[in-house]
Amino acid sequence: MSLFNGSANGERPRLGKAKKRAPTSAPAPEVDLLDDGPVPILELRGVRAGYDGIDVVHGIDLSVTAGKVMAILGPNGAGKSTTLKVVAGLLPASSGDLLIAGRRVNGARPDDLARRGLCLIPEGRGIFPNLTVRENLWMVTHGGGRDLDAVLERAVERFPPLAPLMAQTAGTLSGGQQQMLAMARGLATDPALLVLDELSMGLAPIVVDDLYARVRQVAAEGTTILLVEQFARIVMDVADEAAVMVHGRIVETGTPHDLEASLSQAYLGG
Amino acid sequence: MLQDPTRVEQFTAEIADMKLPDAASSRDRVLLRVGVALMIAGVVIGVVAYTLGHGTTNPLQQRDAIVIAIIGLTVAVVGGAVFLRYSMAQFLRFWLARLSWEQQAQTDRMVEAVRRD
Repeated sequence: MSLFNGSANGERPRLGKAKKRAPTSAPAPEVDLLDDGPVPILELRGVRAGYDGIDVVHGIDLSVTAGKVMAILGPNGAGKSTTLKVVAGLLPASSGDLLIAGRRVNGARPDDLARRGLCLIPEGRGIFPNLTVRENLWMVTHGGGRDLDAVLERAVERFPPLAPLMAQTAGTLSGGQQQMLAMARGLATDPALLVLDELSMGLAPIVVDDLYARVRQVAAEGTTILLVEQFARIVMDVADEAAVMVHGRIVETGTPHDLEASLSQAYLGG
Repeated sequence: MLQDPTRVEQFTAEIADMKLPDAASSRDRVLLRVGVALMIAGVVIGVVAYTLGHGTTNPLQQRDAIVIAIIGLTVAVVGGAVFLRYSMAQFLRFWLARLSWEQQAQTDRMVEAVRRD
C-alpha cells in the first residue's frame, strides 16, 4: 500500500503554503499527500524523554507532513533539542510513540535511521574539524555508492561560498561556512527528512539570514524539514507550520504568523 | 509539497523494512531461557549424583556424589531465581508504567484544581 500517490493533474487545492515554493530545477512529479488529509512523515505521540531518569520533554504530540517545513520554537531549555534527539534516535523516548512514515520506530538505531534518509544537522554542526571541506564531503560517499564529483558539484551549486574553500581545513572556516558545509554534507545524502538543530547558534545575524535563505531554497525543492530555533522571527518566512514549546510541552501549533502572540508569552513568560 | 514521490516512497519502504532491535526484551528472553536451562540442569545433576551414590558402596565416592548433588541443587536454585526475575520483568514493567501514569494523572488533576482556584 502506498501512502503517497501521485496526483493526476498536479493541482493541490488545499496547499496554500506550497504555492510559495519555487519549482525544482529537475521537476519531480508532485505528490498528492492530501487524499485523506496530510500524511505525516514524522509523528510524535505523547513522547516523553529526558536524561538520567528525569524527563525534560513531557508528553509532546507533533506531526510533520511530507514536503513541509515544521519549526519548533521556544526559549532556551524548552526541550527542543531533546525532541530532535528523540526523532533522530539518539535518545530513547521514555514513553510515547515515535512514528516515521507511519511506522513506530521507538528504539531504532540512529545510524539505521540516517542510512534510510533521516539527516540530523546537530547543534555545533558535527563536521570533522581536522579534515578539509572536500574530505568532509568525501565522507558522504562512503557506503552510499555516491560519486564524489557529483557530491562536490551539488554542494557548490547549493552553497557557492564553499567552492574556493575545498582544500581548507573545516575547523578554520567561519561559523557560517561550517554550517554551510554541514548542510551541504547532509543534503548530499538526499535526505527524506532533514532535521536542523539551532542553525543560528553562535552566528552573526547577517550570516543567519543568509543561511535561512539557503534553507528556504532547500525547502523550495520539496525537502521535508524539521527545524528547531530559539530566535523565532528568523523562521517565520521559512516554516509552513510551527509549534511553540515551553518547559518540555508544546503549548500551541499553527502557522508561524498565527503563533506570534503565543511566542511573546513563551519568551516573556506573560 | 513537491517532495519527490519516489524518494518518499523509498523512505517509507525502507523504514517499513527496518529491523528494530529490542535489546531489553531480547536480553530478558535469553535470561529467562537460561534460568529454565539451569533449573533442568540442576535436576539432571541431582539425578546423576543419586545414581553415582547408589551404584557404589565406597563411602568416598558417595561423598563425592553428595557434593555433586549439592552443586546440582545450587544450580537449580540459581536457575529458579533467574527465571523468576526475568519472567516477572515484563509484568513489573507494566506495573511501573501504570503507577507512573496514575501519578502523572493525579499531578495533572492537582495542577488543574490549583489553577481553577
